[in-house]
Amino acid sequence: MVDAITGAKQLREAFGNSIEDLPPVHGTPRLRVKKDDVPVVAHYLHTHPGLRGALSLLWAVDHRPREARYELCYLFTMADRKDWLLLCTDIHGDDRLFPSITPHIHAAKWYEREIRDMFGLIPVGHPDMRRLVRHEHWPKGSHPLKKDFRWDTVLERTQGQYAFRQIEGEGVFEVPVGPIHAGIIEPGHFRFSVAGEPIMQLEVHHFWKHRGIEKLFEGKNLADAVALAERVSGDTTVGYSLAYCQAVETLLRIDVPRRARYLRSLFLELERLHNHLGDVGAICNDTAYALAHAHCSRLKERLMQLNDRLAGSRFLRGTMTIGGVMSDVSASQQGEIVDVLDQIEKDFSELESIIFANASLTDRLETTGVLTERTAWDHGVVGVVGRASGIDQDVRRDRPFAAYDELGVKVVLYRYGDVRARLRVRMDEIHESIRLIREIRHRIPQGPLIAAPDRVPQPGEWALSAVEGWRGEILYVVMAGENGRIHRCKVRDPSFMNWPAIQWAVVGNIVPDFPLINKSFNLSYAGNDL
Amino acid sequence: MFRILKKSLKTGVVTGQHPQATQPSERLTAEAREKALPFRQSLTIREVDTGSCNACEMEMNALANPIYDIERFGVHIAASPRHADALVVTGPVTVNMERALKDVHKQTPDPKIVIALGDCAINCGMFKGSYAVTGPVERHIPVDVRIPGCPPRPAEILKVLADLRGSRSSSGQ
Repeated sequence: MVDAITGAKQLREAFGNSIEDLPPVHGTPRLRVKKDDVPVVAHYLHTHPGLRGALSLLWAVDHRPREARYELCYLFTMADRKDWLLLCTDIHGDDRLFPSITPHIHAAKWYEREIRDMFGLIPVGHPDMRRLVRHEHWPKGSHPLKKDFRWDTVLERTQGQYAFRQIEGEGVFEVPVGPIHAGIIEPGHFRFSVAGEPIMQLEVHHFWKHRGIEKLFEGKNLADAVALAERVSGDTTVGYSLAYCQAVETLLRIDVPRRARYLRSLFLELERLHNHLGDVGAICNDTAYALAHAHCSRLKERLMQLNDRLAGSRFLRGTMTIGGVMSDVSASQQGEIVDVLDQIEKDFSELESIIFANASLTDRLETTGVLTERTAWDHGVVGVVGRASGIDQDVRRDRPFAAYDELGVKVVLYRYGDVRARLRVRMDEIHESIRLIREIRHRIPQGPLIAAPDRVPQPGEWALSAVEGWRGEILYVVMAGENGRIHRCKVRDPSFMNWPAIQWAVVGNIVPDFPLINKSFNLSYAGNDL
Repeated sequence: MFRILKKSLKTGVVTGQHPQATQPSERLTAEAREKALPFRQSLTIREVDTGSCNACEMEMNALANPIYDIERFGVHIAASPRHADALVVTGPVTVNMERALKDVHKQTPDPKIVIALGDCAINCGMFKGSYAVTGPVERHIPVDVRIPGCPPRPAEILKVLADLRGSRSSSGQ
């Protein structure tokens, strides 16, 4: 396996004329590629056996008013999963076109459509030119992330219809579901094409909850935006605020105190625990096994109440801040946490044996909604869903943040990619999180909670950060503007990578299994739609 | 089988094991109380998310867990607005969800109550003014009850629902 520096060297040797070195950003090698050569270079990086770079993030920046150019950045994770390699390209002046890499790299398909909607840049050669974020009733020419688009613009409503892919033939029917669903869940639209019970095709039509979060970040003070970061996806409050804080800390070159880093890991694991417990119950509930659901939601509620006692918020809101953490956890509170977790682990282990003793339950879970490793890799699937399909990736181990370099995380990995595998990943991660919290209690040092910044970043400086939230890898790019304000903030929820993959996992399954498969993915709509 | 029984016996009754609501919620108006009169015995809710961060959804879901067990007060969650007496709306109303919210409101039979749950539904919270947000819920449909909080705790939601229907206790003891 090749690290990013050797990878960059190899690209330079292969495409010397079209590549130019740029100074690395916080250790990530950066290459400027001629715009028209991006597809070949990206394709080489993605498929060359020695490199196998996976597209993790693709974002655009409008550099106005400082410079009249757009920049596209392609972030690849190298095969060792530790290193990042960044390809950049510029679009100058009145040019609005860039070549699409989607024909070579599936994982780019939503990113490029998103860039088209938000910036008005056209990915030439993209196989799917429909709108993604902007629904059809948005007026033409409204591209919110362009700098000349005001954040508080009032949009007119026009007419239009989303053209779903259609399958025609005798006995083929379409089943539209949503945006408002039967349960208490978020809005999204699913369009099934079915022949009898089996699903022939699913098309996901999302972005109903688009609130303009990336635009709201712009112009905010670096320090003020933590509260907004917490509300990208409420169930991942800690994950999002931590990822944001880390990006800003890299910009401000703050060294977070050790105690604060341990507390960050503690809060992140508490968040993972209550969400995983809820998911295990909800997956059982979707097979109509209400007993397991009742027990799991009881355990989840205990943890939410524990969170409330620790931080005054059931979602651990207000715990993260730039440079450290807001709330300390005393030795007696740590004792209480470990006591509660001891009881919960015993309780949960009993529950696990009850769940897997139930043949009718396991029958619903096994071989349902299989996502193969190949499909998962092609779509850049991350997190729990990836680890259930053999994608051995966990930011806590690969690029340790908070206190994970000292804690050492055992990554849970299953290969079957069915609902059962996704359930098993969550169950094993519950035990691992409890182990980590015990470890944190043993090792946590005394010391300060917050470190203060001593510099203001230059306009145009930017930083990247990754956090393994309970769903998977959360990425943040924060670019500074004038006077310590935010020029651009790119947020990527793991759901953005995983939603397209669910379209493949359901094919061939029966419609009544869709809620179960969807639950086993349990993706965020809010984090995806932004 | 014995394992399940043993587990249930060991767990016992957990209902009501939660801290009581402390925050004083907004006072209910006389009109809201009067509107709620037909639903004193049972109230069926349809939840609509028009752009929340999903924390409010999690707390609504928590109401159904064995600890809050909202069904013991005769409150049910319906799968369709056509079966609902009350709409619980969360989140600021996004540009993309505006039409869906109005449709749902139309589909809910009269008499009905509309409850705006959480700060975003009441005043758009952090998302106020954004190009993608059209305004709070009351800009689009009449709102009868407001439950503030980001998000409100389940015990607080329970208390408002109990007050609304004129019962004295929300803890079930």
